[in-house]
Formats: sequence, structure tokens, C-alpha cells
Amino acid sequence: MEKKEAPPKWMEVLVPLVSVASALLIAGFFLALQGIPPLELYSKMLAGSFASYHGISYTIVKTIPLLLCGAGLVLAFKANIWNIGAEGQLLMGAVAATWVALYAMPSAPSYLVIPAMFAFGFIAGALWGLVPGYLKSKLAVNEIITTLMMNYIAIKLVEYLIYGPWRGEEEWGFPITDKFPEAAWLPRIPGTSVHIPTLILALLSAALVYLLLYKTKVGYEARVYGSNPEAARYAGISSEKVILLVMAISGGLAGLAGVGEVAGIHRRLRYPWSISCGYGFAAIIVAFLARLNPLAAIISAIFLGGLFVGGDAVQMAFGLPVGVVNMFNGLMLLCLVSGEFALKYRVRVK
Amino acid sequence: MSEKAPKRRLLVAAIVLIAILAIGVGYYLWVYAPAAAAAAKIKAGYIYVGPIGDYGWTHAHDQGRKIVDEKYDWLDTVYVESVSEADCPRIIDKLITEENCDVVFTTSFGFMDATIEAGEKYPDKIFFHCSGYKRGANVGTYFAEFYQLYYLNGLMAGALTKTNKVGYVAAHPIPEVIRHINAFAIGVKEVNPDAKVYVVWIHAWYDPTKAREAAEALIADGCDVLAFTEDSPTVIEVCEEYYAKGQPIYAFSHYSPMYSYGPNVTVSGQLVHWEVVYDDILTKIHDGTYTSQNLENVDYWWMLHEGAVELGCDFGMPINPKFEDALKAVTVTDTKTGHGTMSVYDLVMLRLEQMKAQPAHVAKVENGQLVWELGPIEFDPFTGPLYDQDGNLRVADGVRLGHDDLWTMDWFVDNVVGSPTG
Repeated sequence: MEKKEAPPKWMEVLVPLVSVASALLIAGFFLALQGIPPLELYSKMLAGSFASYHGISYTIVKTIPLLLCGAGLVLAFKANIWNIGAEGQLLMGAVAATWVALYAMPSAPSYLVIPAMFAFGFIAGALWGLVPGYLKSKLAVNEIITTLMMNYIAIKLVEYLIYGPWRGEEEWGFPITDKFPEAAWLPRIPGTSVHIPTLILALLSAALVYLLLYKTKVGYEARVYGSNPEAARYAGISSEKVILLVMAISGGLAGLAGVGEVAGIHRRLRYPWSISCGYGFAAIIVAFLARLNPLAAIISAIFLGGLFVGGDAVQMAFGLPVGVVNMFNGLMLLCLVSGEFALKYRVRVK
Repeated sequence: MSEKAPKRRLLVAAIVLIAILAIGVGYYLWVYAPAAAAAAKIKAGYIYVGPIGDYGWTHAHDQGRKIVDEKYDWLDTVYVESVSEADCPRIIDKLITEENCDVVFTTSFGFMDATIEAGEKYPDKIFFHCSGYKRGANVGTYFAEFYQLYYLNGLMAGALTKTNKVGYVAAHPIPEVIRHINAFAIGVKEVNPDAKVYVVWIHAWYDPTKAREAAEALIADGCDVLAFTEDSPTVIEVCEEYYAKGQPIYAFSHYSPMYSYGPNVTVSGQLVHWEVVYDDILTKIHDGTYTSQNLENVDYWWMLHEGAVELGCDFGMPINPKFEDALKAVTVTDTKTGHGTMSVYDLVMLRLEQMKAQPAHVAKVENGQLVWELGPIEFDPFTGPLYDQDGNLRVADGVRLGHDDLWTMDWFVDNVVGSPTG
């Protein structure tokens, strides 16, 4: 087995498409075994996510956190830093936003409280990312383990807050915080749940990560570090700086997604799995489906958002469990990783 | 690396994606659009938080849905299972705009905000939210209440425990669960003042692994009777395993009939009849009693009297016959309603009749506001004197707790061991 030369450009587009198609084929095979016509099911899924105003609006709602987390992960993965902690970083952003809205500035006007929520959300997510970043840069602790574990700490922290000190005064003892004051509600596109500021931030984040990676010195350093840490060291690139910066931005962007979910959708803090239905993990697929291209992540985030939304069309029309969507996500990741491998290596029998 | 390539790649990807979309949408419109036709019937949509196969909460709601669906020709139903709280608004939109539902039932506490918002968004549709406390002109609330059953289970647990340690595997530390644990402990204390109820929180509504761990920890701690709030028959299965090993541990089934999972160990339990509630709501919508204008004060809190709940571990079996003799062998004096000395078995039957005969709580409308008043029932478990874990008198002698106190309960009665905050 050996490494191939750089693959041709058209392959870079082809691999994600072929991966998605293979996942559809494999899933279709299992669906057909169950007596469900796969084409009909896929078209219903597509129609559910993209064929109506409602469907499109909810696809965008799902795209926002997927893109924010995904853009951050593109940056991290590009630097070969395996941030599996976007889920926890997102939750910390949600916690920070809740603190700002309910406790730090409960009577502030919108133009103060909304920027403050995003600022503190970014900081909280960044700090949550910096902990594993620091451990990796100083002590060479494997970041896959630490970022993953930090997710569970964040989940437990949210649970502690909603069962304990932040349990709502007006909520009959249920484990949710009080509603945010109206000034802290993110404006939505009327008639939908699309929270506008976060949508703008999400699109900006993709653009900014692109600029950072390809137009700045630190971005260049991150890419060099990512492709060859040894070479980076010889070139005088500080691995410490790259790791900390990448983890802070990656975590901060996920934190922004958390702000959007609590201030734009729920308008309160609640069970962790209600705030994020696995966006931080799904964003890993977003990043790889985009082949670590921050701008392509916009498309892959929309695609995955649509998949989330289309899943319940499947349920209603065919009585299938929601697990089908997870199965499909898993198959897609598997196909992507195999495709990536096939692209970079060739097997030679000697 | 070339800097222009990503743009072209993007363009290609976008074109391919749009093409796929267009094919899908076209196919969909071609196949399905003509089928859209209006119907004169009532169509009710149900939104479930769990899978209908959970053998607990969602399963029970779905049973209720099926029964009313089959009973009435004018009724069509559709359901969506395993809906997360974040997805609820979208599912409501779908049920209304795509499935053309007239009525939507949202069957989890976490769906409350979404239901209220949907009520404002679709003012001519009707919504009913299960277990919440917010209503609107077109949003009613409903709940089938178990505390009377837990009390009756407690009477039996108090009689059956030999170690005077009764275990409770509890889901989430919220008022509903706290109220049920208290009712259970009040029953235990009435029969056996020396026994204590040991609570272990698992922080999940459905988690067989944690339920097993908790049950085994309680048994290791000396508990020989277990009750639980968790949507699987795991605790019963654990007890049956211990029984097979020669260590009898008894249990009370929760939410669904679980007798078959442990015929040797299941004493009794709590069963629900959501169809009774759904039948009443849907019939009243059908005959025009309920409209999208007058639900502001419609709240169901139904118990034994209304037939929304049933005592037992299987329908029609209030007490597993295997335990009749043991329960008849223990005598107790009814100090609360003065019916003299009798066996625990007879006391359970007496209390069951007392609580079936009259409503425990009655909803009234005063000055346009819904008020829950105490019903004319002969016996209610939550009657003072009741002491909390610190020995403070929380409910004075002869005083009964009302709806609001019970719905916000955050303290344990004195024979419970464990923290009410989890």
C-alpha cells in the first residue's frame, strides 16, 4: 500500500457525491429488504426538507448549528487536531447565553444583551475547547479522548444547572430555566424559527474560516502543522500557538451555535439533548462531506440539515423509526472515509 | 494548491445537488399531489417523545390512540414517535399543514412551549398538551394521575417487606415523581410505621441499564420490595432473577401491564387508560362542546374515579392472586377513616372503593380563571398530619393538599431516605 500523488481536482467533488450515492444504495438495499421502495422514500425525504416553505425553513434552522460547528471543525481537522467536542462546546455557549440573559443582564435592551450573549457564548465555547488544547500542547494528551470527555462534563453541568440553581421560579418545579426576557430573544424570520443573527454568523463563519486558512499567516501555519507537524517544527512554527488558536476558534464557533439554539429557538435552558440533538457530532460529517473546504461546508450543512428534517417525513409516510436517519448518517460517514482512503492510497500486490 | 478550484468545485457540487433536488421534487409532486383531498372527519395527530415500543409512557398513549381510532368512524389518527423537544414545532407544522390534522396531542412535558406557540400560530386548530400547566383559547391540558395507585402499592409494600427497607428506582427529580414517591411512602407508613423508602435517582425516563444498576444497588442495601418510575420492565426482571436464585424480592409494575415479566414477584402496579381521556376530549370536539375558542380553562387531571387509571400489574388483576394470602395475614387499623381493624388486603380494597366513589379534585372556573378545588372524596393520601424529612409539620392534621401544592411538590415525607433534588 502506498500513497498516491495528489488526486485530480475533479475527484475531490466526485468522492463526496459517490459516497452519498453509495450510502443511498446500501441503505436502499436494506429498505427494499423491508419491502419499502427506496426511491419513493428518498423522494419523500427530499420533498420533506426542500419542497415546501416549512421544510426549507426548518432545514435552515438545522443548518445553522451544523454550519457553525462544521466550520470550526473544518479548521480543526485541517490542522489535524481532532476536536470531537463540538457538542460540549455548543452546550457551554448555551450556558453562557443563559447566564447573560437571565442573571448578568436580565433587564438590558436587545442591542446590548444579544451581542453580549454571542460574545460570552463564543468565550465559553472557546474556553471549553482550550482545556483539551492546553493539555495537548503542553502535555501531549490525546485530544480525541479529552474533547470527547469534555462533552459529558458539559452535559452534566447543564443538567446540574437546570435541576439545581437555575431551575425556573415560574415552571412548577420542572427542570427548565425561566424564559429569557424578550429582549434576549433573537429575531426570527416571521412565521419560521429561523433566527436571523445566528444564520448570518454561520455564513460568516464559513467565509472567515476560509479566509483564515488560506489568506493569513496563522492559517498557513495551521495547514502546515496539519499536514506535517515535524516540518512545521523545522519551519519554526509554534505548535502551541496553532493548537490553542485552532481549539479556541473551533470551540468558540460551536459556542455561538449554542447561543443560537437557546436564544433563538428555546428561549430558555433545558435538557442538553433538547438543546442539541447531536449537532456537534453530525458536524463531523459536515466537515468531511465538505472535504474540509469551509465554503463547501455550507452545502454539506444544508444537506445534513435536510436529512434531519426529511427523517420525520419518512416516519410519517412509512412508519419507519427515526433510527433510519442515523443508519444513513453512519453509512455516509463510512463511505466518505473509505472514499478518502481510496483517493489517497493505492493497493499494490507484490 | 490553486485558489480558484474550490469555487468551481462548489459550482459543480451545487448544480448536481440542485439537479437531484429537482428530480426528487418533481417525482414527489407527480406521485403524491393528486392525492390531496379534503375530508369531513376529524383528524387527530399525536406527537410522542419516545418510541411506541417503549413499554411505558409512549406505548400507553399509543394504545389509547388506537382504541379511540377504532371506536369512532369519524376519527382518523396519525402519530409521530421519538420526537425530540427541539423538533416538536416542526412536527406540529407538518401535522397541520401536510397531514391536515384538526387536533394535535403533544404528549410530553417538554413540548409545552412548542404547543403554546403553535396554538398562537394556528388559531383555528385545537391542541391538547399532556402534563403541562399552560393553556390558551385553543390549547387544553390533560394528565392521568397515579398518586392514588402509588399509595395503594405502598400499603402492600409496607405489609410485604421483612427488612423494613423498601426501594424506589426513580426517574427525574420533578414534582410528579416526588409526589408519587411520597404517596407510595405514605401508604408504606400507614401499614408499617417502621419501614423506610430508599430512593435512587437514575435521571432518565427510559434507561434499562441504569434501572438495573439501581435495582441491584437497592437490593444489595437490604431492600426486599421495589417500586419504580422507569419505562421498561427491567426492575421486574431483576426481581424475577433474584426470585429464581432463591432470594424473593417483590415489585410493583409501572405504566404498562408487566405481570408476564415477573409472575412470581409482581404484586400489583399502576395502569393507565389514556383512551378514557382521549375519548372524552375527542367526543367533545366532535359534538362542538370544545372549540378553538374555549379551551382556556380545560384541564383534565383524572384518576381512579374518572377511570383514567387502574390498580394492578395486568388489566383486570388489581392484586396478583399469589400475594392475596400474605396480604390477608397482616392486620391493620384504619385510623384515617375509622372503619376498624382489617387485613391489608381488605384495606387496599376499601381505599380503592373510597377513591373510586368520588373525585379527588374538581376543576372549577371562577372569574374566568381555572381553579382546582378539593373533591368530596372520603379519603385522600395527602391528608395531614404529614411531616418532611427534617421532622417539620408540612401539612396540619386533617388538612388536605390541593392541586397546586401537589403539582409543585419538592419535599419528601419523613419516611423517605434520599434527596428530593436528586
